[in-house]
Amino acid sequence: MKKYIILSLMALLMSSCAEQITRLEQYPKMYEEKPLTIAVMPPINQTNFVEAKDYFYTTLYTPLCEKGYYVYSPMMTMEMFQSESAYDAEMFIDADLSQFRNVLGADAAMFTIIKTWKRDKVGGKITAGVEYVLRSTKTGETLYKREGLINVDTSVNTNSKGLFGALIDLAATAVATAATDKVVAGRLCTVYVLSDMPEGKYGAKFDQDQKMPAGKSYVTATVKQ
Amino acid sequence: MKRMILSAICVMALASCQTQQPLYSWYDSEDATYTYTKRATEETLAKAMAQYEKVIQKQNGLRGVVPPGVNAEYGYLLCKAGKKQEGLTLLRAEIKAYPESEKFISRIINQLEK
Repeated sequence: MKKYIILSLMALLMSSCAEQITRLEQYPKMYEEKPLTIAVMPPINQTNFVEAKDYFYTTLYTPLCEKGYYVYSPMMTMEMFQSESAYDAEMFIDADLSQFRNVLGADAAMFTIIKTWKRDKVGGKITAGVEYVLRSTKTGETLYKREGLINVDTSVNTNSKGLFGALIDLAATAVATAATDKVVAGRLCTVYVLSDMPEGKYGAKFDQDQKMPAGKSYVTATVKQ
Repeated sequence: MKRMILSAICVMALASCQTQQPLYSWYDSEDATYTYTKRATEETLAKAMAQYEKVIQKQNGLRGVVPPGVNAEYGYLLCKAGKKQEGLTLLRAEIKAYPESEKFISRIINQLEK
């Protein structure tokens, strides 16, 4: 019996480590540049749901802070972007970003492209498909890139467990007082997809997470709220 | 010996399932800020400010300090609400806590002091 327990525990352990690429291998430039300050760019909305851009914009701030970065207040930068005609991030995603370094002091800019935003009213489910691209304002290089298609079940409360469970729970606790469940859905999507992002200066694992596993560059999941 | 191996495997298996404590306490500040930005009224402003106060006063997160941007946002809103000196003090507190914010926040302070 003991033998079976040991074997099954070993199999469990090995399966969690099988064919996993490390964060250092997946995101080497994050460890080279070690960005500290991040400017959140207004999302690029490729869906027909016009309001998705607004819903999603404010959901990026706390998950990135929780990853240990200094994130400029979206409320304050949004006013600046609008006054400087920089509210359309499409203009900057492939362009020179040095102005964000010069004006804000940002080391990197986080772009998001909303590709899917669907609501299934009957099933109480929101599907968010979003690509996240973090570019250096110094070199212009892409430091981090990952895409997720996340189904958020808005009908029940979360019981998320595991390494990222606490952060997902943290995002989900807002549901009781949420302005809208669409905002919560966006936040859960961000927390889930950015879960393998190397931690910034204020994170508990800053510069110690190189050997931790990185996720696949395209991830699909269902997260319960 | 077997017991030691079993214990070590159990510890490793459990370690891969550990939870991560949040760095900061946010309370309902995100939702209050979102509601205010979508519908700026005295009521939504008061609710947002109450949440900022809570985030600044009661930090139970891993770092035990005010999160990035919160002093700045609250200070900025106070300035807009006519409480300029109080607001500027908070904006300066942001630079003190996070020196990397100086370039942006100093620019805001200069605009507000004009």
